[in-house]
Amino acid sequence: MTKAISFKSRMATLLRRFPFIPALGMLMLLFILNGIAEPNSMTVRALKGVASTYLALVFLSVGQTFVVYTADIDLSVGAILSLVNVSIVVIMSQFGGEPYVVLLALGAGIAIGALCGLMNGIVVSGLRMQAIVATFATSILISGIALWVLPVAGMPAPSLFWKVYGGRSYGIPNVFFFIAILIALLAIMAKTGLVTKLLAVGNGQLSAYQSGLSVTRIRIYGYIICGIFAALAAFCITGDTASGDPLVGGAMTLSSVAAVVLGGTALSGGIGSAFGSAIGAIIIGLISSLVFYAGVPSQWQNLAQGATILVVLMLGVLASKRINQ
Amino acid sequence: MTIMQHSNPQESRSALFVYLKNPLLVAFILIVLLLTAGEALSPGFASMEQILRLLIVAALLGIVAAGQNLVILGGREGIDLSVGGVVSLSAVLAGNVMDGSNANIIAAILVCLAAGGLVGLINGVGVTIFGIPPLVMTLGMLGVLQGLLVVIRQGIPSGLAAPALANFVSKPFLFNLPGIIWLWAAVGLLMAFLLMRTSLGHKIYAIGSNENAAYMAGVPVRLIRIMLFALSSMFAALAGICILGYSGTSFANVGDSYMLSSIIAVVLGGTPLSGGKGGYTGTMAGAFLLILMQSILTTLSIGESGRQVVFGLTLLVLLLFYGRSKALRG
Amino acid sequence: MSRLKLQQICKYYGATTALASGDLLLERGEIHVLIGANGSGKSTLCKVIAGSVRPDGGTFELNGKPVMLFGPQAAREMGICLFYQELSLANSLSIAQNINLYHLPTHAGGLIDDAELNKRAEHYISKFETVIGEGFTPDAPVAKLRPDQKQLVEIMKTLASEAEILIFDEPTSALDRSQVECFFSILRELKEEGRSIIFISHRMDEIFDIADRITVIRDGTTVSSRLIEETDHSTVIRDMIGEQPEAAALEASLAPQAEKKTESCLVAEGLSGAHIRNVGFSLAKGEILGLGGLHGQGQSTLLRTLFGAEKLQSGTLLLNGEAVHPTNPRAAIKNGFSYVSGDRVRDGVITGRSIMENVSPIHFLKDKTFLAFPSVLARIIEPALGALNTKYSSLGASISSLSGGNQQKVVIARWLTNPPDILLLDDPTKGIDLSAKSELFALVRKLADEGMAIILYSSEDGELLAHSDRILVFNNGSVSRELLGEDKTRFNLYEAAYSGAQ
Repeated sequence: MTKAISFKSRMATLLRRFPFIPALGMLMLLFILNGIAEPNSMTVRALKGVASTYLALVFLSVGQTFVVYTADIDLSVGAILSLVNVSIVVIMSQFGGEPYVVLLALGAGIAIGALCGLMNGIVVSGLRMQAIVATFATSILISGIALWVLPVAGMPAPSLFWKVYGGRSYGIPNVFFFIAILIALLAIMAKTGLVTKLLAVGNGQLSAYQSGLSVTRIRIYGYIICGIFAALAAFCITGDTASGDPLVGGAMTLSSVAAVVLGGTALSGGIGSAFGSAIGAIIIGLISSLVFYAGVPSQWQNLAQGATILVVLMLGVLASKRINQ
Repeated sequence: MTIMQHSNPQESRSALFVYLKNPLLVAFILIVLLLTAGEALSPGFASMEQILRLLIVAALLGIVAAGQNLVILGGREGIDLSVGGVVSLSAVLAGNVMDGSNANIIAAILVCLAAGGLVGLINGVGVTIFGIPPLVMTLGMLGVLQGLLVVIRQGIPSGLAAPALANFVSKPFLFNLPGIIWLWAAVGLLMAFLLMRTSLGHKIYAIGSNENAAYMAGVPVRLIRIMLFALSSMFAALAGICILGYSGTSFANVGDSYMLSSIIAVVLGGTPLSGGKGGYTGTMAGAFLLILMQSILTTLSIGESGRQVVFGLTLLVLLLFYGRSKALRG
Repeated sequence: MSRLKLQQICKYYGATTALASGDLLLERGEIHVLIGANGSGKSTLCKVIAGSVRPDGGTFELNGKPVMLFGPQAAREMGICLFYQELSLANSLSIAQNINLYHLPTHAGGLIDDAELNKRAEHYISKFETVIGEGFTPDAPVAKLRPDQKQLVEIMKTLASEAEILIFDEPTSALDRSQVECFFSILRELKEEGRSIIFISHRMDEIFDIADRITVIRDGTTVSSRLIEETDHSTVIRDMIGEQPEAAALEASLAPQAEKKTESCLVAEGLSGAHIRNVGFSLAKGEILGLGGLHGQGQSTLLRTLFGAEKLQSGTLLLNGEAVHPTNPRAAIKNGFSYVSGDRVRDGVITGRSIMENVSPIHFLKDKTFLAFPSVLARIIEPALGALNTKYSSLGASISSLSGGNQQKVVIARWLTNPPDILLLDDPTKGIDLSAKSELFALVRKLADEGMAIILYSSEDGELLAHSDRILVFNNGSVSRELLGEDKTRFNLYEAAYSGAQ
């Protein structure tokens, strides 16, 4: 009896430390199901395909997490992604596709992402506007700028760019290196004081404020990090599609929120992990590939995917509720 | 020795500022200003004909926003992201059932409202019984609805609106006004009556303001919240039918833009996302204001990108007036 | 020169005055006790000092220099740290993270130095080593701790500020005797170091154990400040209560009511739940049954359980001879129960809505009305508000525009539109003014005389003795003694409450 209780409480401590464990289990399950439905889906080639398609969503969801930590939300991530996508493509085509131009474009992209994040942070945290409506308004503004930078889709990215993204080094696809770098980055970020403070703010703004934290500034930092990750996501999408499209990110915003929830981060703030969100994004990818491989008739695929995601979302929320009781 | 003089902010505010804090009034002032500006920019903008055209579009948004308004009023981060999906679903269903024939109108309406009610019921049960945050629940539901749309549209050519429905929406119906405007007015009256003159209205505000106190005073909190979600989807379904009438044929994703604009209309109308205060009259003004703004922007020759930038900035300025949260320092 | 000098600090929230004129002189190396009834403004004054509440007027001097605080962070920089009564902990973070939240130790690269984090936390945890209880490790999440352990974390967090001015707003309310003693020995050490400490507690013995100086606040105004040698229990209590001949007279005049027990309408046997154990009683029509004892011994839980707001695990409840099982407030209301909570912000007031909407819910439920025309409702609501002499401008005015006492009257009026059979009063006068209190108890007695059965819990013993016919004294979740007739004295109440109290 006591043994069972201590096991339970140890599990609870473990889950509190690593809130992404249920998501990781779900990911494994989906891998196995994918493998059963179509053994070919386990080849490096197929995995590379899934990774290159969903890496942008992975980065976007990771960025969203830093905002959700403080119980905020950013509905402009898709627009930021679009703006950075068209900006770097335009910069690269204006100045040629030489390596130093590409680097310059990437630097500019990150700066644009950070600026957009700063704007969101000032609007939501500094001016105390409601995050949902305020970031929706900024998303319209940012999309407008993206349309101004590049009015129609289709401008190609220089070959250097997509060749690196789609290429291999030492026989291993480069996207896997990007994933490894992301994981290392997240592991380092989790150890920073800022993440602890973001979580403290998410646990209760008033408490954090009374503890002497500068709540307003901390929330702004969360939005800036989110903007930077949206820029990184834009690099991935540019590598994947090899072109600029001012509307490319629009549909990804809500998926990033879903991925964050799937990864075990509470929208009410204070609990979660960016690593979990990365897993959540891949889960969304694997669900759609499973639906495909499982032989669902094509017109039913979207429904099967949507219903599965809804069920998984509900299960995820219920599971984390049980853990945090 | 310093004297810290902090006068009581509520007392020191000038009368003008108090008026500016009334969202309904501000919305009406802005509407008049925008109409004047529109007329100056392009003569004929504020003509009766043109205003009627705007009102029709605003009515479609306004009916969706009625449901959104109810869910938001109910508090506890109430929000319905699935309304856009329900609008699309309802438009497609109505088109398929109607198939261009007046005889099928009643059946189409019943089917759509039932479908909407069912979607809302599932949302409400997910939120109240399973405790899923409304944002997550309705976001997931949106994905399901988008999938469902693909299934329904498969193999069946897009349905046509019945002529009577199309006439109801865009042709003069009574006193030279299209039926849709009468319908919107009826929705407005119904909502005002529901919220201000029935016990249900009192209970909705009560659970939105202090759910625990409402519970302790015997208000059936869960039941009411489920009902709000069901009503939200039914209003969206009603709007979907009207949109079919407006556009003649149904096409996919017709409802997408209603998801966030319905929320904005509610907030511009003075109902904060935290719930418990506000009402539908403001939301109606908010919906018209939103449509008016978009319409003025289209008369400006600044291109799609310029229009979006101006629209986004204007929204930010308007939102700055309403729905700001309290400062942390008491 | 005093370390801290506050003069005429005031703070208003709308129509409510939280602090009218707060004065305080804090010296180096002293433990300065602030005392006053609930809602007298102690916490507001502390929050002003710690920067988390912006004062509406007054002067604030630190070490002889006038200062203006812009927030808690600025206060921390100036060496002021506050223990928050409602705690300022981040539940999902660990004990060590909470203790060090303001100054997270980092490596050269900016990453958190876990070893140092834990070492610093251990330093403060070790001071309480013998009294912290199970599971109190630096990496344990705060959410899983017991209430007393959370309070200890908040104490450690405050100590970790190493501030020169430490303010403790009711730090001992959940602590047991050994924990309090350990904490006090630490406070004395800090005093020796020359730190200045402000301490708030409602436990008189504690106060006289630790204080160097006692300042009394009444109705938002500092009324006295005396050295411990120059004062005693009764002086402090007199300062707290002020001149109230009527209150004293009330207590005397309302001596035991004539025994007029008729048939009992509510009989409870062996009620057990989260914080109550095997509670039994019978309640007669027209009777006011008092619940006494130290705060938080299960009185409130019993009332909430009867009302269906807390789970009843076992026991039987007979209402007019029929078994009932309270499952939720709605069902309890239909059975004739009513409940008034002292925590009106949490349980009572429908924030920001009109007075009418705050009174109407019970009427709607009991009369099953659907329409709500103001003119019709007013005819029902106005008499209910009038019975309590509620002061309001119009029924459409927001309840937030009323003072605390009038807000509570509105919440009580809710039950008077359709009078219940049983009225459960859960510390109903918490934080409301004296005249409102006396009006409220006059009404309660009138209702009882009309045949209503009433259970009253009050954290103020005077009220309880004056207004109840019979008192059940609670101790650690169960009834330890019943006081009636001649036995219903303050002495017996204290003895029963404190004997074996934790």
